[in-house]
Amino acid sequence: MQSCFSVVLLALIAWALWSTGFWLVQRADWSVVSGNLPLFAIGSYPEASRWRPILWLGSLLLLTLFTLAQPLLLRRGIGLNSTILSWSWLLMMPLGLWLLAGGGVLDPVPSRLWGGLVLTLLLTVFSGVIALPLGVLLALGRCSELTTARQLSKIYIDGMRAVPLIAVLFFGQLLLPLFLPVQIEINRLLRAVVAFGLFAAAYVAEDVRGGLQAVPPTQSEAAAALGLGPWQIQRLVILPQALRIAVPALTNQAVGLLQNTSLMAILGLVELLGISQSLLANPAYIGRHLEVYVWLAALYWLLCTAMALMARQFERQDPSNLIATRRS
Amino acid sequence: MKQGFCLSFGVLLVGLQACATLGEGGASRLDLVRQRGELRCGVSGKIPGFSFLDREGRYAGLDVDMCKAFAAAFVGDANKVEYRPLTAPERFTALRTGEIDLLSRNTTFNLSRDASGGNGVAFAPVVFHDGQGLLVRRDSGIKRLEDLRNQTICVGSGTTTEQNLNDVFQAKGIPYKPVKYQDLNQLVAGYLQKRCAAMTSDRSQLASARSGFEQPGNHQILPEVLSKEPLAPLSSGGDQRLADAMRWVVYALVTAEEMGITQNNVDAKLQEAINDPSKTALRRFLGVEGELGSKLGLPNDFVVSVLKATGNYGEIYNRHLGPQSAVPIPRGLNQLHRDGGVLIAPPFQ
Repeated sequence: MQSCFSVVLLALIAWALWSTGFWLVQRADWSVVSGNLPLFAIGSYPEASRWRPILWLGSLLLLTLFTLAQPLLLRRGIGLNSTILSWSWLLMMPLGLWLLAGGGVLDPVPSRLWGGLVLTLLLTVFSGVIALPLGVLLALGRCSELTTARQLSKIYIDGMRAVPLIAVLFFGQLLLPLFLPVQIEINRLLRAVVAFGLFAAAYVAEDVRGGLQAVPPTQSEAAAALGLGPWQIQRLVILPQALRIAVPALTNQAVGLLQNTSLMAILGLVELLGISQSLLANPAYIGRHLEVYVWLAALYWLLCTAMALMARQFERQDPSNLIATRRS
Repeated sequence: MKQGFCLSFGVLLVGLQACATLGEGGASRLDLVRQRGELRCGVSGKIPGFSFLDREGRYAGLDVDMCKAFAAAFVGDANKVEYRPLTAPERFTALRTGEIDLLSRNTTFNLSRDASGGNGVAFAPVVFHDGQGLLVRRDSGIKRLEDLRNQTICVGSGTTTEQNLNDVFQAKGIPYKPVKYQDLNQLVAGYLQKRCAAMTSDRSQLASARSGFEQPGNHQILPEVLSKEPLAPLSSGGDQRLADAMRWVVYALVTAEEMGITQNNVDAKLQEAINDPSKTALRRFLGVEGELGSKLGLPNDFVVSVLKATGNYGEIYNRHLGPQSAVPIPRGLNQLHRDGGVLIAPPFQ
C-alpha cells in the first residue's frame, strides 16, 4: 500500500516538475520580462537621469554581496570591518534619497516618476526607518513603570493591530487629503511611507517587548548596583541584549513589510507589482500574466532570501554566540 | 472596534461635507491648472487600448490622449501631464479631494454619477461608446445577430451581460443556447475550446481578449451592440468653467474630424485660415478670428494646440483602437454622425 502511494506520489512530482520545466523553457515567452528590465527596475524615471537609481540599486547589490561574503573574506583577512559595513548600510538611505530626488548638483525628479523595484525598496527601507525607533520607544513605554506611558503605548499598539493594513493605507492615501486644507499637500509617497511605518511600529514594539522580557531582571539590578542611571541601563545593558534576541522576529517584520508594499499597487503607486500590471495592459503583452507573475515571484523571493541571509549573519555576529563558538 | 469605525466614518462624512461646501466658493480649478502649468489627470493605467505603459515607461492609450488634449488646451503643452493611476474605488474620492484635476479613466456616464444627489461629478461628452458585443470565429460565417439562431453563446453568469443578452435576443425573437461561466478567463477558455459559436462581453474587453489569442485575425467582433456603456472624462461637480473647457476640447476633436483637420495638416489649415478671410467657420474654429477660446478661459487658438498634440478624434481612435492597432475595435457608434455613428459636435459659434 505504502509503496504504491510512494510510486504515485513520485510520478505526480515528476510530472509537475517536468511540465513546469517544459513551460519555463519552451512555452513561456520571456520577451515581456527581458524587454522591460529597466521598467521593472526603475519605472518611468526620466531617461537622462536613469543612472542615478541604477547606481543606487547597484551599490545596494554590491553591499549585499559584500555583507554576505564577509565571513569568507574575513577568514582570508581582506574583509571590511563590520563597523564600516554598518555605516555604509546607514549611508545608503540618505544616498538613495538624494540620488532619486535630486537636489544640489542633481536635477530634481518628482517622486511620481519613481517606480518599480527602486520604489519597492525605498518604501520598505524608509518605513523600516520609521518603524524601528518608534517600535523600540513603544516597547519601552509598554514595559515602563509610568502609568501614562504604559497606557498610551498599549492603546496605540492594540489599536494599530486591530486595524487591517489596507485600511491604514486607504486612510493615508484617500482620506487624509480630505481633512487637510487645499493648500497643504503632503507628498503621496511620504503618506505611504508614514502609514507603513506607523503600522509596522506596533508589531515591532511587540517583538522588542519580547526581547526586553527575555533579558533577566538581574541584569538591570546588576547595572544599577554598578551605579548606572535608568537611561544608561536601558541603552548600555538591556536594549543591546533585547534587540539581539528580537532579531529573528524583526527579520520577519522586515520581510513582511517588503511584501506588504505590493499593496500600494491597489492604491495606484507603480511599485514592482503596479508597474507589472500596467505593463500587462500594453496590447503587445496581453496574455503574458503567467510569465510576469513568475518573474515577480522570483524577484520577491530573491529579495526576501537576501534579507533573511543577512539577518542570519547578523545573528551569528552576536558576541554571546561568538564566545560560544570559540569555546566549542 | 466596529463602533469606533462607524464613528470615524461619521466624522469623515461630516468632514467631506465641510470640504464640499468650502470648495464651491473658490476659484475655478482651471485657473489653478494654468497657474501650476501642469494637469493632474487620473487614469487607470491597466486597460489595453485605453491606458497602459509602453516600453519606454510612458502612458499611452485613448484615455491618455484625452489627458494630453486637455493639457494642450489648458497649459499649451501636451507633455505637462501628471498621470495618476487610480483604481475604480478610489477614482471619485481622488477627484473630490482635489488629488487630480480631472478623470479620464473609462468611466460610464450614468444618472447617479452625474446627479448632485449621487456622485455629483460633471461629465464631458462621451469619448467612447462601449457596449456589449459578440465575438465569433471568422470561418463560422456568422455576420449578424440573426445568424446566431439556435447557436450556443458563452456568457458570464449572473452578470448584467447575461440579462442584456437575454433581453436583446428575446426582443428580436432569436432563440439561442447560453453556456454560462464564472469569470472572463473561463469564458475565453470556453470559447477557445469551441464550446460555443460566440462569446459575449463588453466590446473593449472582447477586443483585448482577442489580441491575446494565437490567431487574433481569425476572430471578429460583430457590429451589433447589445447595451450602452458610454465612457466619458469627468471633473468634480460645481466647477462650471472647467467642465465647459473640457466639453469644448472634446467637441473640438470631433469638429476637427468633421472638417478634415488632422495633426499633419493643421499648420496648413491655419495658414489657409489666416490667408483667406472668407473662410469664417475655419477662422473661428482655429481662433484666427472671434474670441471663442477666451470665453472658455483658454487661449483663442487652443484648438490648434490640441490638434498638434493629439490629432482629431478619428486619429486618436485609430492610433489605439483602429484596425491597424493591437486592440482593434470596430468604430461603430464612435463614428461621426454623417458616417452612421453618434458623434456630433455643436457649432463653434
